[in-house]
Amino acid sequence: MDSREGGKGALGDVRVLDLAGPLGAYCTKLLADLGAEVIKVEKPGGCCTRDIGPFFHDDPHREKSLYFFHFNANKRSITLDIETADGAEVFKRLVRSSDIVVETFPPGYLERRGLGYPALQEVNPAVIFTSVTPFGQTGPYRDYKGSDIIGLAMGGLLYIGGFPEDPPSQAGPWQACHETSVNACVATLAALYNRDVTGQGQWVDVSMQECVAVALQFVMQFYDLRRELIVRNGTSLATSSAFPARRLPGMGLYPCKDGYVNLFPLGRIPELVDWMESKKMAGALKEERWQEVLAVISTTESLTRLFGNPAAAEKYMTEEFPYIDGLVAAFVGAHNKKEMCEEAQSRRIPAVPVNDVRDLLSNPQLVFRNFFVDVHYPELRVKLTHVGSPYRLSETPWQIVRRAPLVGEDNREIYEDEMGIPRESLRLFKEGGII
Amino acid sequence: MAQKRVALEGVRITDFCWWGVGAYCTRILGNLGAEVIRIESGTSMDPTRGAQPIRDGATGVNVSGYFNNFNPSKVGISLNLNHPKGREIALRLVAISDVVTDSFTPHVMEKWGLLYEDLVKVRPDIIAASIPVMGRSGPYRDWGCYGHQIESMAGLASLAGLPGRPPIGTGEAWPDFTSNPYHAATAILAALHYRRRTGKGQCIEVAQFESTVCFVGPAVLEYTANSRIPSPAADRVPHAAPHGVYRCKGEDRWCALTVFTDAQWEAFKCVIGSPCWCSEPRFATFLGRKVAEDELDVLITQWTVEKTAEEVMMLMQHAGVPAGVLQTGEDLLVRDPHIKAREFHVACDHPEAGRITYDGVPFKLSKTPGRLQRTHLFGEHNDYVYHHLLGMSEEEIGQCYVDGVFD
Repeated sequence: MDSREGGKGALGDVRVLDLAGPLGAYCTKLLADLGAEVIKVEKPGGCCTRDIGPFFHDDPHREKSLYFFHFNANKRSITLDIETADGAEVFKRLVRSSDIVVETFPPGYLERRGLGYPALQEVNPAVIFTSVTPFGQTGPYRDYKGSDIIGLAMGGLLYIGGFPEDPPSQAGPWQACHETSVNACVATLAALYNRDVTGQGQWVDVSMQECVAVALQFVMQFYDLRRELIVRNGTSLATSSAFPARRLPGMGLYPCKDGYVNLFPLGRIPELVDWMESKKMAGALKEERWQEVLAVISTTESLTRLFGNPAAAEKYMTEEFPYIDGLVAAFVGAHNKKEMCEEAQSRRIPAVPVNDVRDLLSNPQLVFRNFFVDVHYPELRVKLTHVGSPYRLSETPWQIVRRAPLVGEDNREIYEDEMGIPRESLRLFKEGGII
Repeated sequence: MAQKRVALEGVRITDFCWWGVGAYCTRILGNLGAEVIRIESGTSMDPTRGAQPIRDGATGVNVSGYFNNFNPSKVGISLNLNHPKGREIALRLVAISDVVTDSFTPHVMEKWGLLYEDLVKVRPDIIAASIPVMGRSGPYRDWGCYGHQIESMAGLASLAGLPGRPPIGTGEAWPDFTSNPYHAATAILAALHYRRRTGKGQCIEVAQFESTVCFVGPAVLEYTANSRIPSPAADRVPHAAPHGVYRCKGEDRWCALTVFTDAQWEAFKCVIGSPCWCSEPRFATFLGRKVAEDELDVLITQWTVEKTAEEVMMLMQHAGVPAGVLQTGEDLLVRDPHIKAREFHVACDHPEAGRITYDGVPFKLSKTPGRLQRTHLFGEHNDYVYHHLLGMSEEEIGQCYVDGVFD
């Protein structure tokens, strides 16, 4: 049973109606994990995000979607067909007692059913109605269909990902949806703050394309100020097309004995060379003739000068840099990623292991911090390990208080106990497919 | 015409952030109307002030396209925190602020006597948010690294790209503009709400490593539940086929194209003119298309290479099939009619950088729209903050300049 007390958690006094698909799933998760009461409003039979994998033991069952589990722990679930007249009425009653609605339907879908913001504002003037769509509620592409990769493409991130000799390749799974969801969450909470002060609700219109476009580091700015395009170059940091597209020595991914290390010794080149020298792997780098070349890659100022001079950069890339790069590669290659990074960090050289999910679970820092959280799933007779909190709040700590809900798990409690709908009506609703 | 209220009007933030992730967090809040007072010292200026892109011919510390895009909508003051009077003034600012933000490793704020335990003495209900790489505790607490390295460390890079290729990730410092600043902004806003109903502030820590691991939740569950390490899938997903990036006419032009339902598959076939291969029974179901994905991609490319990326997108979208051009910086700024109609990019005049374009606010609040204001010059608002906000006299201010407090 839900052990949440009213008022606990930073958002403990907030109720959210969650009609969100993938574009808003992480938004409502963040709200739930901060203590809001989040009610997942699912169509009878279960919402379609339960069909998204991976699945527990690869069994594609609606109560076994690991994707669903991750995004919906801490939430309650009711089933409701809002496309029916009775369902719409029930929904409006719920809105009356809610603070926030989050939805990801195509623009106009809820409006056509009398459940858009204008109608719901009448029901509850203080409601914050957050609509998350691929391209927003207005504009020539408002009715365009989207998915995560479409957001990455139209938002400008996909073009800069990958190797020049391959098609551009996407950021890891669901990254556009995550970025869109965190924007939706911030926008919603800003609207909540405004409501706290003025009593007014409002409509929050979130566009996935824009959420990706606002996260491009400097792609648009390079074109705006220099008419240059940022292009994929096969390294962790895409660069301008005006600059020769190869890695600077010492900067980037290097294979090691058990995987990869991402090295970025900005301002710490002398320390790196000293360390290599202590292992007799610095070649000629301590000699006088190499100091000028090393100085070129030593500071942000020297690098900015280098980037501003592609001809000089090309010369270094062809002549001197390969020698340095080869020595660094041999040095990293002689280590394991854990020992390499721990030693580098003790010398304040920024180096990190490239971790896969197995590495994460045994990472000393995450283990010490008790980052991962076991959640009990009695129906599956297991405890599953979830990722933990993105933040630590001293007064209102994050917690998972319950596993992701079963389909309509809270129908009785919410409809009968809280809303006082008679059991006979609920039986008729069930038969009529309304819940 | 009456000025519309901005959502976070009345919220004041004393901001010690610099570089990328911290500056980005307070950018989000500044664009929503919070007054962000950004503290910077000339003795140790933000390194991004020298970062590309810089317009040819532009010089000085106020012209970096990188810095300017990360720091609009903020009040800028110069203050030397290595000077005891500088720290005293910082605490006076905290006393009239709602929130304090920093993105240093923990020992820096400790050295300056600006940890949460120090801040509550001048303002008991202060909300203090730090965005360190690892956090105040743990064996790796002193580790330092950059945004794109966080992506490597948090498991994201291992899930991206092509199987068998080095795990290079997104090609940018993705966590600096996504997980980390937004988690911090979320926590700050939640804390502000909590304080309104309880009167209590609190201390917030967003450890960048942990925060970014939160973006690979389903993959972690796949490992812990199924003992499987997910491998990178290039441009594919397990639940749709075809799903990928297809070469179009022109130099390095691509369109993403995805089919999630059988209905979309029927529409897709019509758009490409129903060539014979389309009606093969093996392509009629999702499973059949999944199994033959490699072959499908080759066949589809035969159609897309004859068209521009824009044509592919428009034809597919009009038929209800999700598709999108892989847009470049030029596409976004100049060619995309939709992003233009949404007024996403904001151009402002800047006294030293000239007319520059900012990435705007990616959502629209109907009653309290976000508003972006041009980036400050270094030390531009000293007079406003020291004289007007803190009530310092001309003499005291003058003496501070002489003593190097405002360096």
